[in-house]
Amino acid sequence: MPATTVAKLVDTSLCIGCKACEVACQEWNDQEFTLGVFNNTYQTQPDLTPSFWNLIKFNEHVDDGVNSWLMAKYQCMHCADPGCLKACPAPGAIVQLPNGIVDFKQDNCIGCGYCITGCPFDVPRLSPTSKKVYKCSLCSDRVGAGMTPACIRTCPTNCLTFGSRTDLVQLAQIRTAELKEDGFKDAGVYDGPGVGGTNVMYVLKHASEPEKYGLPKDPRIPWTVSLWKGPLKWVANAAFLGTAVGAMLHYLKFGPKETHDDDEVA
Amino acid sequence: MTTKSLERFSFAERVSHWTSALCFLYAAFTGLALWSPRLFWLSGVFGGGETVRAWHPWGGLFFALALGVMFRRWVGQMQLDEDDEIWLAKSHLYAQHIEAGMPETGRFNGGQKMMFWLQSASAFFLLLSGLVIWFPEVAPRSARLIAILLHPICAAVSMGGIMVHFYMSTLAVPGSMGAMIGGKVTAGWAKSHHGKWFREVSGR
Repeated sequence: MPATTVAKLVDTSLCIGCKACEVACQEWNDQEFTLGVFNNTYQTQPDLTPSFWNLIKFNEHVDDGVNSWLMAKYQCMHCADPGCLKACPAPGAIVQLPNGIVDFKQDNCIGCGYCITGCPFDVPRLSPTSKKVYKCSLCSDRVGAGMTPACIRTCPTNCLTFGSRTDLVQLAQIRTAELKEDGFKDAGVYDGPGVGGTNVMYVLKHASEPEKYGLPKDPRIPWTVSLWKGPLKWVANAAFLGTAVGAMLHYLKFGPKETHDDDEVA
Repeated sequence: MTTKSLERFSFAERVSHWTSALCFLYAAFTGLALWSPRLFWLSGVFGGGETVRAWHPWGGLFFALALGVMFRRWVGQMQLDEDDEIWLAKSHLYAQHIEAGMPETGRFNGGQKMMFWLQSASAFFLLLSGLVIWFPEVAPRSARLIAILLHPICAAVSMGGIMVHFYMSTLAVPGSMGAMIGGKVTAGWAKSHHGKWFREVSGR
């Protein structure tokens, strides 16, 4: 039986910004928290770090003079077509598990950082001390043992749900319909069709403007990465082979360019 | 037995050539290891993936520096003149060893000059893009997106050129490898391959 694709649904309309998921992530993954930049917001810190894989973004939003936060859980999206994996040169450093989780195996990572460039969501972070790249593993260790990811286990508002992707797509549609009934006409699901679908999905109140949540509008693997790892490889291989074969044929047909004996000058 | 009486490449020229050649080979093979997961086994030959990631940029940097020394020394001699342009237009005859109608060449022929410019240009862009790829946490994303494409394109052009260079200097033109190692050629070799240069240096 093929493994079920697992997924995480983030219903941003239910997030209260308690940051329990951030703490649970740090605890389960045994990450030390170092106080970073304080820039007068409620957000824990401005960005993800090699030892901080799950950040609730407090995006400030003004609608008809009313201030609100558009909460977004910033983490690895576990794409079906992962740009990080496409860019990675080291076999086994990035693996895509049968259940859809994209996991980094630091033992095989060489720290080149190509995955950072390949990721459409700008998620992987290179550690300056270990020279390895880190990101959310969707708690693949917990999921493998039949448990739910730490962030989901701790979420007090049902903003976060874990399950099979098929089930969660349905749940996302139900929640979207409910939000529309509540007057959020622009409500919708964000699941990155440009990268084959993401296994971390969002329900957004403003689905036509994901940028407001800090999410890219139409995430795709950058075309330079696709060209680099696709056609360019074959063009270059053909050119190398052509040059080698050309040199061989030239030598067999014309031989070396000899020095003329009658030119020899004592 | 004719003696190798003419100095083709000075000691300094040979040192800078072979320094850049060795750095090039190191950077090329470690670069191939990082080029594709299928060639990653090459990294094992050079001490493992982490070592290759750490040292490939240094190999490339030293290659660029050594090439820079060669560039400074040779750039004046590598300007294309009218004879070189005729030579290049008739290079298919040169490839077939047909000498009728080919202009006499100076110290470097049109093909060698083109190789010089090809390698210099690709090395320049390899250095620029390589610096960007070296520090992914510092370089802006837009620069990295261009660099990861530009670097392998220039590397492929450069390595393709070096394959031709290697063939020409070993099998195709006997005597040229000796010139770059020992520095000297016979008068006959000079007259056959670089007639104009031969008359300049020998005074005949």
